[in-house]
Amino acid sequence: MRPSFFHHLHPPTIPAAQARWRYTLGAGGTAIFLMLVLGVTGILEMFYYVPNPQDAALSVQTITYHVPFGGFVRNLHYWSAQLLLIVSAVHLLRVVFTAAYSHPRRFNYLLGLGLFVLAILLDFTGYILRWDSGICYPLVTGTNLIKTIPLIGNFLFRIAIGGGEACSTALIRFYTWHIFGITIAAVILMVWHAFRVRRDGGIAIPPPALRADNTRISRNELVRREVLAILVVGIILILMSTFLPAPIAPAMTDKPAVTENARAPWFFLWVQEMLKWGDSFIFGVLIPLGILAILALIPYVLPKPAGGDIGRWFPKSNRLAQIVVGVIALIVIALTFAMFIS
Amino acid sequence: MMKKTIPFASGLLLLALALVWWMDSKQPRPVELIPTLTGQPEYCITCHADLPEISASHPVKTLGCVICHGGERLALDADLAHSTMRSGANPSDLSVVEQSCGGSNCHSGSEAENRNHIQRVMTSIQSTYAGAIANIRYTFGAQTDLNAYFGIQAVTDEQTATGITSLSAFEPANETNPFIRKFGEQCLNCHINAVPREGEAFARQTGCAACHSPQASADSKVHTFTTAIPYTQCNACHNRGNYDLRAMTFVERTDHPTSRIQDYYQPIAQFTKCEYTLDCIDCHTREEAMGDGDIHASKKDIQYIQCKTCHGTPAELPLTKTLTDPNDIAFTLAFLNPVVDLKLGDTILVTEKGEPLWNTRVLPVGTYEMIGKATRQKFAFRPVKGSSCTQTGADQSSAYCHECHSVER
Repeated sequence: MRPSFFHHLHPPTIPAAQARWRYTLGAGGTAIFLMLVLGVTGILEMFYYVPNPQDAALSVQTITYHVPFGGFVRNLHYWSAQLLLIVSAVHLLRVVFTAAYSHPRRFNYLLGLGLFVLAILLDFTGYILRWDSGICYPLVTGTNLIKTIPLIGNFLFRIAIGGGEACSTALIRFYTWHIFGITIAAVILMVWHAFRVRRDGGIAIPPPALRADNTRISRNELVRREVLAILVVGIILILMSTFLPAPIAPAMTDKPAVTENARAPWFFLWVQEMLKWGDSFIFGVLIPLGILAILALIPYVLPKPAGGDIGRWFPKSNRLAQIVVGVIALIVIALTFAMFIS
Repeated sequence: MMKKTIPFASGLLLLALALVWWMDSKQPRPVELIPTLTGQPEYCITCHADLPEISASHPVKTLGCVICHGGERLALDADLAHSTMRSGANPSDLSVVEQSCGGSNCHSGSEAENRNHIQRVMTSIQSTYAGAIANIRYTFGAQTDLNAYFGIQAVTDEQTATGITSLSAFEPANETNPFIRKFGEQCLNCHINAVPREGEAFARQTGCAACHSPQASADSKVHTFTTAIPYTQCNACHNRGNYDLRAMTFVERTDHPTSRIQDYYQPIAQFTKCEYTLDCIDCHTREEAMGDGDIHASKKDIQYIQCKTCHGTPAELPLTKTLTDPNDIAFTLAFLNPVVDLKLGDTILVTEKGEPLWNTRVLPVGTYEMIGKATRQKFAFRPVKGSSCTQTGADQSSAYCHECHSVER
């Protein structure tokens, strides 16, 4: 069979052991598929979404209830975005727990981390675009966090939000960030990230001398597995979007009240829980950025994993990185639950 | 086996898409309404097509639903659509009435004073309860006179004709006398914005709907607005029992009257035939019931209709007016409750304050006719003048009429 364009996007062969589901978890590929779904459904939503403060929430209601299959498309967009965060986190954990970030993939690990941050920002800005009475707490709190940064806080705030009050004038900024600014950066990083996978020698694997198993699978088989993954994820997305409607709330009234029991979106609940502890800058900005810095430094600061350990689950020479990332993940999950049940 | 996985998964995906299509086809088709007044589409009648139009003066094609009720006009999910409705199903509750019913084209802020129903109702004794509060505070020593200082809610009246420019909100918790506190806790359920007592006999809504949406029972709220208010609706507050000032509790009537005459008033009251035959609104005017825009300190300051309003005195005939102005308020009132076909040139009775008794007319033979506002029943009646009544001219309040004309139960 002559390889098609899609086959050509893949290397001719890849190592069988590292092409297994139980190794990759399909997380990276699924993330790319979800980003494609997000792009397509996002474009469909743009046909009806009106980015001005008076009409935004009503246009979301129009999409949800009156555009043919509009509610379904919106649900697809919503659930793809939520799954993207989960799948990206799984991808990150897999890469750390299999020492796959090790040289020469250290830079691509940073690109991936950048993509993860962009995915979170995309989710947050998209959430704000609902512009209904449910978004005001996260908008005010989130943007006020920017202001707490010493010296440059107000400057960054103006870049992110524009002038005026968050709940009245920031919509067009968030719209542009969501649809152009962050999306273009994410597309560039995504292509770069995928390119670097091949440039760095394909999927992480021990050097030839240390390989236990030299069997490889063809790109045909790889594409077949990817198509299967796409079908499975597609079915899950369709079912979720059919039975679990995306959140929606009444349109904002003149002066939206920031109520006591307002909730951040689920992926920021852990930050909201920490904000109860005290200083907004420390708990809302420094600690999250510190965690990001720790994650970024892992390939550069921690001991280099042994060559033979690369591409295996939980190798010994990589224990410290596993513990650091594992503890961070557990703390974030615990804080999220603490806020969720409070 | 391996080769069939992809076609199998593809089949499942198609099946899932078919499910999406099937679920979508089962959704009710949205029914759009674009009221001419707002020009903004709303979809309430997708579910509420069976609701009758609330009144001829509030046509749904003109007003729609949202302008009065609020709510999310585009949402087809019941919870979201209803989430921002004003005061549940009753937008006339006084807490939201200004947003729901107000505006200079509607019922507040109009240059024509008799359209400012909201201001009149907010300041009326029926919603301020100022008389009862003043009496109780005076009786238990919290104030030294019977002037009104407090109402259920704080109100102001800048163009006062009674001298009372404002009332503060009555806060029972601020009172030191335990009786007044108990009064505040137990006796404030009669003003029109109070949640009514439990029980069929007390069934009514709040705000404008307390009177204008007569309901058959506690569970049968009706989507009706009317000025043809039957006496039964007035009875939901009036005539259902009495207050015991020693225990500061409301004592409900224990009898269950089955006839109109038994239903009328409490056993101690004296009354005449027309008082239990007519409906309350046949005699009592809108200013008496809804207020005249001024803050009053007591019911006796606003309620003024007497027997003589319609019957006159031995010396004088009742006041009459021949309708010559097509914009006379009498025509508006007759239009809202078309029980009579009022025409220019008709002569009707008017009250001492000039309010038209638009459901009456002077017959050519010198007698009078009244048409029941709620029953459309016709009643013929005569003036006192020329009758055998020997009451002196100074003793013409209704109490004196009751001396001879009261009915035995």
